[in-house]
Amino acid sequence: MTILNITFIIAWTGIALGLVGILLRLREIMQRPYKKDYSRSRGSARRGILYAFTLGMAPWEKESTRQHWVAYLRGIFFHLGVFAAFGVLLVSPWLDRLPSLIIWIGLALTAAGALFGFAGIAMRLMGENERALSLLDDYFSVFLTSLFIALACGVLVWPGLLPVFYLVTALLCVYVPFGKIRHCVYFFFSKFFFGKNFGHRGVLGPDNQQAMEQTHHGG
Amino acid sequence: MADEKSTGGKFTAERYKLTDEKAVLALDVLRQRLNRQLEASLEVCVRCGLCAESCHYYVANPKPEYVPAYRAEQLRKIYRKLSDPLSKIAPQWTGAAELDQEMVEKLINSAFGSCTMCGRCVINCPMGVDTRHIVRTARAMLTAIDMTPEGLKATVNIHLDSGNNMGVGEEDYVETVKWMEEELQAKLDDPSLTIPFNKKRAHVIYTFNPREVKYFPYLIQAAAKIFNAAGEDWTLSTESWDATNYGLFSGDDAAAKTIAGNLEKAVNNLGADVLVMAECGHGYRSQRWEAENWLGRSYPFKVVSFVEMQAQYIRQRRLNLDPTVNKKRVTYHDPCNQARQGGVIDEPRYILRHVAMDFVEMEPHGVENFCCGGGGGMLSMSEFAKDRIAAGKVKADQIQATGAEIVATSCHNCLDQLDEIRRHYKLKVKVQNLSELTAAAIVWAKP
Repeated sequence: MTILNITFIIAWTGIALGLVGILLRLREIMQRPYKKDYSRSRGSARRGILYAFTLGMAPWEKESTRQHWVAYLRGIFFHLGVFAAFGVLLVSPWLDRLPSLIIWIGLALTAAGALFGFAGIAMRLMGENERALSLLDDYFSVFLTSLFIALACGVLVWPGLLPVFYLVTALLCVYVPFGKIRHCVYFFFSKFFFGKNFGHRGVLGPDNQQAMEQTHHGG
Repeated sequence: MADEKSTGGKFTAERYKLTDEKAVLALDVLRQRLNRQLEASLEVCVRCGLCAESCHYYVANPKPEYVPAYRAEQLRKIYRKLSDPLSKIAPQWTGAAELDQEMVEKLINSAFGSCTMCGRCVINCPMGVDTRHIVRTARAMLTAIDMTPEGLKATVNIHLDSGNNMGVGEEDYVETVKWMEEELQAKLDDPSLTIPFNKKRAHVIYTFNPREVKYFPYLIQAAAKIFNAAGEDWTLSTESWDATNYGLFSGDDAAAKTIAGNLEKAVNNLGADVLVMAECGHGYRSQRWEAENWLGRSYPFKVVSFVEMQAQYIRQRRLNLDPTVNKKRVTYHDPCNQARQGGVIDEPRYILRHVAMDFVEMEPHGVENFCCGGGGGMLSMSEFAKDRIAAGKVKADQIQATGAEIVATSCHNCLDQLDEIRRHYKLKVKVQNLSELTAAAIVWAKP
């Protein structure tokens, strides 16, 4: 068995363990009571949820992301890099058969992702607030993820890096349920509740004028 | 209250000492309240700090401890220690911490002392973290172990004991209303105008903030003028009439439930269709959005704010208005509990465009409006008054930039805070309730 094969198996073992960890986290949150809302709606919870997962994520929609658009876009490119790196992982056994266009897109996404990932560490170290907020886990998580993306970028140029890429993949995936990277699980819950709450109250999502009409003529 | 707290954020009174029993109880409260919504908010924060400028405390005084994520992080530390496997092995790695005396003081200062639970950071969080929920949970834990700041604690207790948060007796209440009724009749030269009490099956039942009865009785007149001009079938109740509910701020769901339940009972006993909440931001939020969840059932009646009601009357052409009465430039301060927490955003603007000649928006406004600093029960907690006034600088600057001579709002806590920052920052404005402007613009037609 070659080193490549062994590390490939380690990578997928890590992924499997990470998935088990994520499932355990999911089970934990789903076992928590769900706070039902008995109040009459003023707007549409559905539209609020839709807003939360679509337009609500646009950089111009929130004052915070308008003011910190560089940081926000850094985060967007970083996460695009994460998705692209997982794409590279999935197609890694067939890298030599990939069309060059795909390789170039992968390179661009992972290069930008890694760059913005490492830049995130620098921003955490340089910003007073970010430094005060950051935990060791934050630095390690961002570093590990950025390394994973950088290696994905690297294997597209030099496939000889694949064993290292696989080992880092395993480490990353095993760490996901334990560290801050697990926010990927909770993001969907958090955004859902955000949209539901503010949509139900007619604050975000629905046309507020429409909500006003409903309030006044709805009985 | 001097013995309650010394300087430097240290709470020295005996009841602020954390015993083992208190620590166990506080953690039990956290466990009990840990639902899906709270867990998601505790877990999802990536500590990016983008929320910083959404907080008026931070904008007025840019220190890391005023970043909403930092504030919420205090409870997260305890939560992690309680439930996260890695945090149990390596607490420093994940920033987990025991609930000890130092942490309790941090919690008091962050949850009570520097957060009005206005929700502006929630709207601005890219991850959807509900910091209001986290802060209210921290407050609930502290309240369970008798560590609520004295003023807030007293306000809740007075409400539970006397039926309203200022201990106004029924006789005083009825007399004040009757006095206002007589004055209004005389002022408008219309003896047919009434302020009815305990009218069975009236369409609308109206509430007051006890401050109106005690200090601002002319607001009773304003409400009465509006209801009478609109030809509303309305009543007041003597059984329960206080719109406020400081249980929302102390995090005490049991107290909040009792207070909300009293009002529910009064509405049901009179058989009204609509409960109209006085111009009181948190009162509206409590009864409109939270009360049914505290009680665990839906109301058989509708709850609306007085602002919505006024807008409805104008829309239905039930009020004959002369906006030239209000010639001065008016701006509007959105109470967080009505706008951001309840979607009452278009209505006050609709009203102002009909009752005033020169309405101008402050920036930002509506959903993104800054808290004035009077929310979260902050006015009842004198320990934190200095920081509250400092945080009000943001609002003072907003107001000044409009060039307005009148700041209208529809919340008593906002009204008091705005008036305080008006004096402190020497703003040349008058602070008024929306209903005052509406009532002034009404062209009275005697029957």
